[in-house]
Amino acid sequence: MTTSTFRLRVNGERVSVTVDRDEPLLWVLRDRLGLTGTKFGCGEGECGACSVLVNGELYRSCMVTIGEIGPDDEIQTVEGLGTPGSLSPLQRSFVEHTAFGCGFCTPGMIVTAEALLRGTPHPSRAEIVAAMDDNLCRCASYPAIVDAIASVADGGPDTED
Amino acid sequence: MSRLSRRSFLELLGASTAWAVTYSCAGPEPDAVPPVATAVTEEVGKAQLFYVDYTDWLLIHPDGSVTAHTGRTELGQGLATVLNKLISQGLQIPPEKVELVLGDTDLCPDDGPTTGSAATRIVGWGYWRACDRIRAHLVERAAVVLGVPAEQLEYRDGEVVGRDRSDLRLGIGELVDGKVHLPTADFVEAYVSSNPYTDRGAANVNAEAIVTGTLRYTGDLFPGEVAYASWLLPEYHTQLTRLQSADLDAVARQPGVRHVQRSWNTAIVVADSYTAVERGCAAAKARWKVPERARELDVEGEIRAGAELKRLVEEHGDPERALERSRVVLSETYVTQYASQAPIETETAVAEVVGDAVTVWASTQAPFQSRTRVAKQLRVPEATIHIISMPVGGGFGVKAGTKAPQVAAEIARAAGQRVKVVYSRDRQFNSEARYKEAVVADIRSGVTADGKLVARTLDLYQDEGNGSTDTYAIPDVRTRLFRTTMPARHGTMRGTSFVQTCFAVESHTDMLAEAVGLDPVAFRKKNLVFDAFAPLLDACAERIGYTSRVLPDGHGIGFAICDHGGRQLGAVAAEVAVDRATGVIRVVRLEGAFDIGLVISLNTLTANTKGAMIWGLGFALFEEVHLDGHRADVHSLSDYRIPRFSDVPPIEISFHDNLVAKPIPRGCGELPTVPTIGALANAVYAAVGLRFHTLPMTPERVVAALRELKKGES
Repeated sequence: MTTSTFRLRVNGERVSVTVDRDEPLLWVLRDRLGLTGTKFGCGEGECGACSVLVNGELYRSCMVTIGEIGPDDEIQTVEGLGTPGSLSPLQRSFVEHTAFGCGFCTPGMIVTAEALLRGTPHPSRAEIVAAMDDNLCRCASYPAIVDAIASVADGGPDTED
Repeated sequence: MSRLSRRSFLELLGASTAWAVTYSCAGPEPDAVPPVATAVTEEVGKAQLFYVDYTDWLLIHPDGSVTAHTGRTELGQGLATVLNKLISQGLQIPPEKVELVLGDTDLCPDDGPTTGSAATRIVGWGYWRACDRIRAHLVERAAVVLGVPAEQLEYRDGEVVGRDRSDLRLGIGELVDGKVHLPTADFVEAYVSSNPYTDRGAANVNAEAIVTGTLRYTGDLFPGEVAYASWLLPEYHTQLTRLQSADLDAVARQPGVRHVQRSWNTAIVVADSYTAVERGCAAAKARWKVPERARELDVEGEIRAGAELKRLVEEHGDPERALERSRVVLSETYVTQYASQAPIETETAVAEVVGDAVTVWASTQAPFQSRTRVAKQLRVPEATIHIISMPVGGGFGVKAGTKAPQVAAEIARAAGQRVKVVYSRDRQFNSEARYKEAVVADIRSGVTADGKLVARTLDLYQDEGNGSTDTYAIPDVRTRLFRTTMPARHGTMRGTSFVQTCFAVESHTDMLAEAVGLDPVAFRKKNLVFDAFAPLLDACAERIGYTSRVLPDGHGIGFAICDHGGRQLGAVAAEVAVDRATGVIRVVRLEGAFDIGLVISLNTLTANTKGAMIWGLGFALFEEVHLDGHRADVHSLSDYRIPRFSDVPPIEISFHDNLVAKPIPRGCGELPTVPTIGALANAVYAAVGLRFHTLPMTPERVVAALRELKKGES
């Protein structure tokens, strides 16, 4: 195993890292680029805490190696969706609905929901559940997460309380 | 806002940069207060209220901001939000003026581990009452400063102002005098001057950081600037394994491995990255000597075999004689399963040793216990160890006994560098697991012909928890606790012991109701120890349409009630639909009603309560760690099914406050999990006549049990 230098586009910025080509994208994001919003939960693609967007498509970053990423692929992490003080609509909705307990799975939830809404701007609740079903939340904040996503999908604040 | 250390706490007060309250009835100095809380009880109505007094620190700074220190930690249960809200409301200042320092062993007092749904009730309420006294004290102090009688002043919005004179005005920061204020504890006078129940605002204090991925958990510290550490571990949950052989040279040859060393009954490995350290451990091809053991375990048999009476929990009257005289006697045994806490953040710690000073950043529910364990492991004085609690990515009990801090500290010292330990999912499930233990419950009850419970014996075989059950008024009763050698290592897990006991008692309750020909709700209401349960049952029954609906074939509604310690009462109603062909139980609806006193943050409470009910659903329907000899057959999240989005039914909840006269918060972290399990078991019985004496109620077991049932009928 030898290391190579990889050029990447992450959250709109060009960066380069020198790592083993088998290194999962998850750990490159976390330890090489300091983007620790993308979480390690299982390393086996089972929990969704490490979800990221690559060219707008949803990936488990623990299951993608850096060698599989091309220099023109656009990687988006939770940090690229919004920042404190400048939240994305989904992030704001998660705050308004208290759609988390400990918050550890939340970045993965938000990234997954983002992918859903980009492809299906007005999903039904059943479509939301189906799209989110592989993301695990042990605090089981599921009802509030569905509400938070549905509220953004409806294009307005959720009035049912 | 400035922080202060335990050592410099009193010095700093003398420097008059801040005004502090230590809320205590025990002594004038934080250090003089015993770490174990002083308990005071009083009778209020029918309930025995349990107040606990302790010492926490609250500082008012000259800029009007406030810092509050507690040794408890934020697990996602919302403690930071609750404390922020109580203190900001109590002192009538904006939430952003309140800084919390949680779970730092150098900066906080030891007020116990964060377990058992007690932090809001104990720490939160302590702060709230302290705020009452601070307001009164500030008015008195302002009267001296302004030279007017205190009666002409009032406390309003973080200031002391003249009642009729707008020129009299002093902010709380202007009133700090650097003195330690020691109010005498007066437990009876606690009051609520505003009603936080009506305030629905107050988002989680960490909300923006959580949704933007900027909240730092333990594993997020020092990216790129810390080595990863691990150690060889067998896939066994017994402590009796011995390392036979390991190819440490092969480990050392792995790319990225910095350090490998034989240590204790294992070898430690330090490497550049998580991937490298895991690869390094795998390269050792470690072989372990494991004691012989049958692969198919008789869990109940093993538990009974090693049992000895530990404690008589309660005994009133003569239950044996009362049972003999009872019209209806029912004797049953219920056995629950091994289960795993499975937080999404695995156990994690970062440790650094500089000279004699040990610093550990940890995902822990019990920082002070972590400090003790680290000190023991390193054989150094506790004073040299600083535990910094980070936000916990889910604990559910397993992080009350986490070993990650001590192992990280040991490796950091041995390898001479700062290291990060992140458990793999397999390690979390297996070799470092502390499961929810299996519990055997033998329950025997006597009932009169008209449905009055008159006698009960309950024998519980368990290691964790105290076995309390307190839902029904039974004149002749005996509860015994048997300690035993458990088949696998165990620890606490949400609703410890309440979960197992309530499943047994509430399943049994429905069987008793049937035996005397009473409706399960009517039977419960006839035998309640607290009348406050009745409106909870009624609320659930009404909302689920218990008497107003004809259910389709295969559907059933079940109820259960629970008194979690600390006078937290709950009732849950569940509707299920059982597919007789596939055995799949679909939860149609859950209704929960909880009598928990004052609600402080409804948002946090709602999220937590629904989540806790979903936990009950998982435990009832599919969560199980199957033991295979000394191994568990659970290695990844694909082997251990936890509830997912598609499992969640519509859930409706309501909060009530009828039990005690005083509006105090009583906590609700674990409570909703507990009765959900019994309600689901009873709903399955109502739906298809299957009484499960073991859990979980998996499709295979439903199909098999239905087959047995049919055989018995024909």
